[in-house]
Amino acid sequence: MNFDLSSEQQLLKDSVDRFVADNYSLEARIKVTDAEPGFSRDNWKSFADLGWLALPFEEGIGGFGGGPIETMLLMEAFGRGLVVEPYLASIVLGGGALRRGASKTVKDSILPGVMDGMRQLAFGYAEEQARFDLDDVVTTAKADANGFVLNGTKSVVQNAATADHIVVSARTSGGQVDRDGITLFLIDAKAAGVERDNYPTVDGLRASEVKLTNVHVDRDRLIGEVGKGYAILEAVANDAILALSAEAVGAMEVLYKDTVEYTQQRQQFGHALSEFQVLQHRMVEMFMEYEQCKSLLFRATLESAQGIPTAQRTIHALKHLVGKAGTFIGENAVQLHGGMGMTEELRIGHYFKRLLVIDAQFGNADHHLQKFAA
Amino acid sequence: MDIDLSAADLAFRDEVRDFLRTNAYKPGADYTVWRDQWFAKAAAQGGWDVPKWPKQFGGPGWTPTQHYIWEQETATAMLPFDMPFGVGMLAPILMGYGSKEQQDRFLPDIRARKVNWCQGYSEPGAGSDLASLKTKAELSADGKTYTVNGTKIWTTAAHMADWIFCLTRTSDTGKRQEGITFLLFPMKQPGIEVKPIITLGGSHTVNMVHINDVKVPVENRIGEEGQGWTYAKGLLQHERTGLAGISRSLVALEKLKEQARSVKRGNGSLMDEPAFRAKVAALEVDLMALEFTELRSLAAASAGGALGPESSIMKLKGTEIQQRIAKLTVEAGGIYSAGWGHPVGPKFARNGMASYLSSRAYTIYGGASEVQKDVIAKNVLGIKSGKK
Repeated sequence: MNFDLSSEQQLLKDSVDRFVADNYSLEARIKVTDAEPGFSRDNWKSFADLGWLALPFEEGIGGFGGGPIETMLLMEAFGRGLVVEPYLASIVLGGGALRRGASKTVKDSILPGVMDGMRQLAFGYAEEQARFDLDDVVTTAKADANGFVLNGTKSVVQNAATADHIVVSARTSGGQVDRDGITLFLIDAKAAGVERDNYPTVDGLRASEVKLTNVHVDRDRLIGEVGKGYAILEAVANDAILALSAEAVGAMEVLYKDTVEYTQQRQQFGHALSEFQVLQHRMVEMFMEYEQCKSLLFRATLESAQGIPTAQRTIHALKHLVGKAGTFIGENAVQLHGGMGMTEELRIGHYFKRLLVIDAQFGNADHHLQKFAA
Repeated sequence: MDIDLSAADLAFRDEVRDFLRTNAYKPGADYTVWRDQWFAKAAAQGGWDVPKWPKQFGGPGWTPTQHYIWEQETATAMLPFDMPFGVGMLAPILMGYGSKEQQDRFLPDIRARKVNWCQGYSEPGAGSDLASLKTKAELSADGKTYTVNGTKIWTTAAHMADWIFCLTRTSDTGKRQEGITFLLFPMKQPGIEVKPIITLGGSHTVNMVHINDVKVPVENRIGEEGQGWTYAKGLLQHERTGLAGISRSLVALEKLKEQARSVKRGNGSLMDEPAFRAKVAALEVDLMALEFTELRSLAAASAGGALGPESSIMKLKGTEIQQRIAKLTVEAGGIYSAGWGHPVGPKFARNGMASYLSSRAYTIYGGASEVQKDVIAKNVLGIKSGKK
């Protein structure tokens, strides 16, 4: 039992920490998110050069064979830096679906471009009526002579505007909430019948409503088997929860530390704010929630990495705690910064917004508490 | 990173399990005989009767992981009742600051559980603000004997104790922490009066201790005069990390779920009621996180590093969790939790309320939660003190 990093993991951590420290000022972030495509293509190129885009893919196709621990190290640093590049959408989600379910032909034709940064992916799983349930799918896929025809709308698809390909879930059989009968497809973002309504999300990232009208998908663009897509969907969602939670833990660390620093400088009533015990205790609570999230992140990540059967339940626990603690830490960071906390000038508000979006992605705190208790 | 136990650790776990099984109490056996045998056999294992003592004082010299395993395995087993004051609290101070003579004189009886100790720290005017204590110790002109006068309060098991380790004031000048002296003296002597205090749970565990002109020879002083605060402070930190009680909470939580499932509601049980279930679930999540906070802290200690910031939250979070479990047990008992000392309703409900009420002390003793937060703010967050 140990929490030490291997030398490769330590190198990865050092390189991402350094990159984030050097490249992610608030000014740089705002400049990038205020324009399209909402992230820096130069940074994306650097991610590729540093090998991060190839991290979770198997070595046989040019990846580095990294697992949940490596992704955690990367995402935690991304959280500290409030990184906007679509790593989650393209590598963890889209890439995660492809590496699990795509045929060798599809992997060979698509993944090299994903790993070298020339292609990007997105993952359309959510639908308006489904709320957080991955198995609630009404988008239809009907078999025809050469493949399938898809109809429906996928909601809040991150990075769809920039993505070259989108993995979508659709129903090939069964009722609205049956797990059997869900199938995953890889569609070209520019295919006939794909309409993207693009918009920014509150955290400065990008998402789209993706409307599919008689979109034809060749049979060889199927991800996994017909009707058996749910298992992949669930595995990818678990990866996403681990990755988002790591990102959230990184963001929480910045929020509580910034608050400690700010209250030591800000003078009111002739004293530094940090001298007031009520504020000290609040900050201790923020710190404790952060440490508890970090502990549960380690637990869920290690259980996943080692294939321990309790991992699924721990992942629910993690997403619950991260949602709850993220909101608590974010709200109190703003509160303790006072009026300044309400401005766009300070970075804490930006971190807070990211944490709010993370809570809403892949099931919020209440959703996962119910799953945990089930 | 790896959460598997090594082969050596697994072998150790089996050894512990085997020991606990072989030496388990057999119903009907004489308790005192069993207890003495248990400690003797544990000692023969190589210091298992004093797991936390360092090797040079006869302890087992376990790794943090081994301590963790011991804690986990013993949480579900019945161990002989053991007061923490001698083995757990005074012994480390004797080892750290006592003279060789004092160590030889006191440690063997502490280890043999022959002498019961109590802790004389808090006073009516000195609770969380312990440094304001006033119990006076005056050294005679010949420098041989202290005369002690004052009152201690919340003294657990004082009515059963043979000896007390006591913080006394030997100087009123200078920093108040610097005038405190650590003395040991027998409880069963004229001049010491123990008055019981009955707490909310209806039990008598704590006392008020009046000390009148009690003579203490100078060789019963630990370390230097005026340095008692320094000695006690180190122990308090030690005491606090041991108060989280995570393994016991894990066992208690499973018991709570079982009890709640035994409370029938329609076709299901209390565990199917959303409000109750959500509270149990949120509690379990916090406990699962704290379990890993402890492991992180143990891992840091294993690596020989200083305890990380995460270790500071153990007492605060751990005691809060114990209280939440106690509270939910009361809720599970429903109206039967109102009963007091009369056997009605489900069995678990009979002492649920008393346990819950007693549990309110967890966030008060060993440094109240609010004091813990002050300490974390100062030592971990690095905030300059100054309370407004």
